[in-house]
Amino acid sequence: MSEQGIGAALTRVEARDKVTGAARYTADVVLPGMAYAALVSSQVSAGRLRSLDVSAAKAAPGVLGVFSHLDRPTWHRVPAIPYFGETRMPFSDDRIHHAGQHIAIVVASTRQQAAHAAALVKAEYEAGKPVPTLEKALPSAYVAAQGNYVNFPQETVRGTPEEALAGSPVRVKAEYRTALISHAPIEPSVTTATWEGDELTLYDTSQAVVVHRGLVATAFGLPEDKVRLVCPLIGGAFGAKTHVWGHTLLVALAARRLGRPVQVVITRKQMFTTTGHQPPTVQRIEIGAERDGRLRVITHDSTNSTSFVAERPENTVLSSVATYAVPNLRTRVRLARMNFGTPTAMRTPGDGPGSFALECALDELAHELGADPVELRRRNHADVHPQSGKPWSGKNLLECYRIGAERFGWHRRDRRPGTRREGNDLIGYGMATARRVEHHRAAESTVDIRTDGGVVVRTATQDIGGGTLTTMIQVAADALGVAPDKVTITVGDTDLPPGAPTFGSITSGSNGSAVRLAAQDARGAAIRLAVGDKGSPLHGLAEDAVDVRDGRLFAKADPRRGETYAVLLTRNRVNPLRGNGKYSPAESQYETSTFGAHFTEVRIDRDLPRVRVVRHLAVIDCGIVLNTKTARNQAQGGIIGSIGVALMEELRQDPVSGRALAPALTDYHVPVNADIGQIDVHFVNKPDHNSNPLGAKGLGEICSIGVSAAVANAVFNATGRRIRDLPITPRRLL
Amino acid sequence: MRVKFTVNGEERTADDVWEGESLLYVLRERLGLPGAKNACEQGECGSCTVYLDDTPVCACLVAAGQVQDREVRTVEGLGSEEELDPVQQAFIERGAVQCGFCTPGLIVAAHDLIRRNPCPKDAEIREALAGNLCRCTGYEKIIDAVHTAAAHSRGEATS
Ligand code: FES
Ligand code: FES
Repeated sequence: MSEQGIGAALTRVEARDKVTGAARYTADVVLPGMAYAALVSSQVSAGRLRSLDVSAAKAAPGVLGVFSHLDRPTWHRVPAIPYFGETRMPFSDDRIHHAGQHIAIVVASTRQQAAHAAALVKAEYEAGKPVPTLEKALPSAYVAAQGNYVNFPQETVRGTPEEALAGSPVRVKAEYRTALISHAPIEPSVTTATWEGDELTLYDTSQAVVVHRGLVATAFGLPEDKVRLVCPLIGGAFGAKTHVWGHTLLVALAARRLGRPVQVVITRKQMFTTTGHQPPTVQRIEIGAERDGRLRVITHDSTNSTSFVAERPENTVLSSVATYAVPNLRTRVRLARMNFGTPTAMRTPGDGPGSFALECALDELAHELGADPVELRRRNHADVHPQSGKPWSGKNLLECYRIGAERFGWHRRDRRPGTRREGNDLIGYGMATARRVEHHRAAESTVDIRTDGGVVVRTATQDIGGGTLTTMIQVAADALGVAPDKVTITVGDTDLPPGAPTFGSITSGSNGSAVRLAAQDARGAAIRLAVGDKGSPLHGLAEDAVDVRDGRLFAKADPRRGETYAVLLTRNRVNPLRGNGKYSPAESQYETSTFGAHFTEVRIDRDLPRVRVVRHLAVIDCGIVLNTKTARNQAQGGIIGSIGVALMEELRQDPVSGRALAPALTDYHVPVNADIGQIDVHFVNKPDHNSNPLGAKGLGEICSIGVSAAVANAVFNATGRRIRDLPITPRRLL
Repeated sequence: MRVKFTVNGEERTADDVWEGESLLYVLRERLGLPGAKNACEQGECGSCTVYLDDTPVCACLVAAGQVQDREVRTVEGLGSEEELDPVQQAFIERGAVQCGFCTPGLIVAAHDLIRRNPCPKDAEIREALAGNLCRCTGYEKIIDAVHTAAAHSRGEATS
């Protein structure tokens, strides 16, 4: 740990505002003259709008305008995908693709009036015949052509998989299913739009202000610099705010037509139906192995649902491609269209459902072989990337297994399922590997040192709750040699240097690197200024003979000789001294991933088979940890979210219409306080400098990958029942 | 209608309130107190929890008319500029805050629990806070924070 910042368990800088109610989120921004919008949702899941009667809504008190496809909005162009939710622009025709689709927007002087008037819009439908569920869509599943979201190989072959299977002494084969699940962040999506002439400002719950600005600009045919996106703080997202969804554009459209600012807060129901979800998957896996456990071959065939207005394959099969050393492989991903909203990235896209299938299948293999599940994974460790053959930039997975097994007391596991009990409880242990490709993004930042010794970091990334504000301050403080409490940060505004999105676990590595480069630039400039300044005690020294600590530059050879940034800059009348940082990921000779191992203990009452996770340990290898406190909190949250995925989360659909049956937090069960046992997180904490200058990698996703498999494997160990469908509800165990 | 009530110790009046308006709406949109959050507006999440007289309620479920002449206390009314309430302090110290959207409601709910039960056990905390959803923290730290706050309130030092 560096005393100057990196790794310290610094308390989150915005925590005080959050506990006093002073923190301002997007919905808390009130603009003068602001009107309020409500969106009207389609009641049917397929077909056309035969008529839309908005007269009563228009005549309702306070109503300023009602817009729909009848107003023929002229969008300039469909923004480039990815990161735009759908290929169909909102209101572009009378067709209905899913229940909950926006069919009109009502704007009124108050939020209540808008909601009231929205209920007065009368729609008549020519109902079509919906494809209601993935099950019903399966017969027409297809392999999508590359392009748009389809940005990874849909089919991969390595070696000779069929021959390898035929010649394998041990084989396991099974089908796994994951459910349709929802991000359900506590903060709903919100947009406020305001125009000044041809310039648009959006206050938007956006996980990527810079990327989203470009998409909005395209939709309205504006140059990018005429659009400003602001996102002060996000109240959780988990992927739901990764893309630009229809409501953002519709509010901007209404604001333009009405000539005043308009705000919409998406209803809880609309959160479930119009801001994405993780699609259900059906995955078939077959593994062939030697008797000693060495893998010969894996085949992984996966199908997920998508909507009729976007193709979004889940890269579940990457788990099989990139986790273990296996010479033969065949994978395929197919899409099946159903009449439901468009799926999107959700913690963790691809690897969440994919690792469930693969890591359960390995557990089945271990059982078949009578092998220890940890040992089996060790034996198949991928020393280099199994597909490309390139070396890893950094990998400490074996250490994760070792530390995890030791700390958890894995040796106490009984291989024979259903044998350990205590009173009426069956007890089981399970484990799984976690692996996630590390993504990189270009990012920029400035770091200003002021004459009062204060430091300001400016970068257009955003904090969705993971602690970005705090970690970026730590990175700057560390590189500059100042105390973190001297540093403040401004984020979430496209007027700032373009920062990285806060999704795909990109922020720490990519944005952190930009901040570090900017801080190093500022530090270097200050040192150059000092050694070239006759008035400085450091005058004449070589640049590398100077160090900085606690805001004071000093001669390494004689630490008494020196002066502070503040004194140096004041004397030279430089205010501020600005450092610029630009991180652009280069083509690398390495493969970069994050890794981890999960260990779980479940207890199951024999009469009422509700699974309780009483103990979970995750050992995570994500490079150097920027802040042990925020990191541990974030990881615990991710683990518990995934325990929810394993045991309870499912957005159930009506089998005929496909509609979400109960899109509400009361019915969409997320884990609550009463459900959770003890969650331990351990970090390997070794920098990966081959990955990026900072040596830090993403944490937001790796912490949640493999958890559902570890739970399912523990359930098998406890009961001897192999549950291959998520969530593992009491009903499935009866 | 006109609604008159006390908020955080101050007499406040809201005019032209609609029949169907919630207390949450009045606090946020009319009185400029956005501390209580609008996360579901249908009583599912607890993010809007405030005290009504001495009882924590979901402000989104309370009709504005019901608070006439009564006393409301929101997260903004706990603690002061100089000194945070022990619950607020403990949430910061223990890292019980991530995105923070559930925090104002949780703080009021935890505050109420400690008033009623100065020495709550784990299970009692979990039970008392089960109506407050948090999607980020996973609750471990929230429970730590409640223990810490309870100890502080009893006048004990904690490590
Ligand atoms: S906003 Fe009131 S309970 Fe969710
Ligand atoms: S901290 Fe984000 S919902 Fe609780």
